[in-house]
Amino acid sequence: MRKSGRAFGGFAVFTLWAVLVLLAGASQGAEKLTGIDQLKDQKLAAQRGTIGHFLAEDLLGEDSKALLTTYEKYVDAIAALRQGKVRAVIMDEAPAQRFLRSVENLALMHESLSEESYAIGFRKGNTELRERVDEALAAMKADGTLAAIIDKYNGDFSVKPEDIDLNKGARGGKLIMGTEAGFAPYELKVGSGYIGIDIEMAAGIAKRLDKELVIENMNFDALPMAVSSGKVDMICAGITVTEDRKKNMDFSANYVEGARQVAVVRADDYEAPAGK
Amino acid sequence: MTSPSPLDFGDRGVSRGWSRPGRGDASLLVCGVLLVAILIHSGFFSPGAWRDFGEKFHQNFILDGRYRMLLDGLKATLSMTLFATLIGLVLGLVISVIRVAYRGGARIGLLNALANLYITVLRGTPVMVQLLIWNFSIFATARDVNTLHIAILAFGLNSGAYVAEIFRGGIEAVDPGQMEAGRSLGLSYRVTMLRIVLPQAFRNVVPMLFNEFITLLKETSVAGYIGIDDLTRAGQNIQALTLEHSQPLVMVALIYLAMVLVLTELVRRLEKWLHRSRRS
Repeated sequence: MRKSGRAFGGFAVFTLWAVLVLLAGASQGAEKLTGIDQLKDQKLAAQRGTIGHFLAEDLLGEDSKALLTTYEKYVDAIAALRQGKVRAVIMDEAPAQRFLRSVENLALMHESLSEESYAIGFRKGNTELRERVDEALAAMKADGTLAAIIDKYNGDFSVKPEDIDLNKGARGGKLIMGTEAGFAPYELKVGSGYIGIDIEMAAGIAKRLDKELVIENMNFDALPMAVSSGKVDMICAGITVTEDRKKNMDFSANYVEGARQVAVVRADDYEAPAGK
Repeated sequence: MTSPSPLDFGDRGVSRGWSRPGRGDASLLVCGVLLVAILIHSGFFSPGAWRDFGEKFHQNFILDGRYRMLLDGLKATLSMTLFATLIGLVLGLVISVIRVAYRGGARIGLLNALANLYITVLRGTPVMVQLLIWNFSIFATARDVNTLHIAILAFGLNSGAYVAEIFRGGIEAVDPGQMEAGRSLGLSYRVTMLRIVLPQAFRNVVPMLFNEFITLLKETSVAGYIGIDDLTRAGQNIQALTLEHSQPLVMVALIYLAMVLVLTELVRRLEKWLHRSRRS
């Protein structure tokens, strides 16, 4: 019994080892990428439910949609890219830039896939809240508060969560915001609190509405469900307005315009065209 | 949630299988060699890797007290597991007694049907789907209810269904002769059940209840879906913060493993103690 057990163990190790080596070898030796067009028949990754997800689907088309893998988190998609499981990750430029700064061997393709606008999402028919938020948002745009918040997070994440005034104990009740706090610079969980453009903007809105801002952190693909069920008052997570989403949700005015959607690739797998 | 029946204890009350000496050694060897192989493959033994590891470790867990995120997550995981287990125990006991009493001839057809429905539905659907339904459908408008409490309720009700089956199995594993003997001595059904059958059943099921607790501990890792920063989610939050992929996950896995190992050892000792009176 003992002997055969060991022999089996050795055999299992050898087999697994061989499989690992084969898998590692299989991902090498392909031609380098040079432009977005080539992604049409490549393995792609995106965060589930994001615009990157839909763009990747469009890019691949019906025939090769099996080449798309969607993940819960950007970190997972980028890990898949680095491990050679996919050739590119389609995502928003702002978080992509942050990955580029702290993870080796990544590059952005020079062309962007599209430009998007971010807005705050509300339950369909919740016009009263939407109008009040729009008013507050317009005021913050007019007096430069919003621009100052966006400037503040330009590559700098040293803001402490406790320095953001969530207007605790406000008389007007709570303003519950759903978000996915893995989308810097828009929202990020730090310790037991949150920082980011969306967080500070929502805090400013809550203040103008005389409400206390409460943040619910969930998966991005759970956000539409949370707002339409009334679990949260609004969702604010760098959400792009699309025709499809408008069918199920109401949106505030845009607070960010021209957010680029990009393809993140491995630097050693990409040859940018000359002059770019 | 199912694990092999512990009701059949060899001759000394020690469970069989992996603890058999030969197989234990071989499996340990497989794991060890595999681990080393993977480590070599990922460049773990290259000189720069260790410095890198230290830097990343500092960044992931030490800088700005980020380990506190894991501790907070651990607290959420433990409180969910603990309170859900309590709910599950009470509920499971009640349900199993209903089912056993019905089979024993009590006229509680409606209660028994409800108990059956409960067990069928909650064991027949994934706990994660149940969690989403509790949070986003049933408690959709109850906005002042703490999400953690919803999760405790969801996990507790789910666990109750399994615990009910564990208890029923335990009660039915007691020799019917015990009940017959009690009744023939003139004791009522209730007294025989409470004084003779249940104590024996309890000894049978304690290890399985512990296993249920261990399973639940791991199952709470889906709570992140409804916005609870449990241990798993805490690891993901650190990932989003440092953009580092593997270390936070491995750390989370190690914490779960440590807890499960401690609990498993407790079960083992408990089993031994419970069966100390068995003739060997």
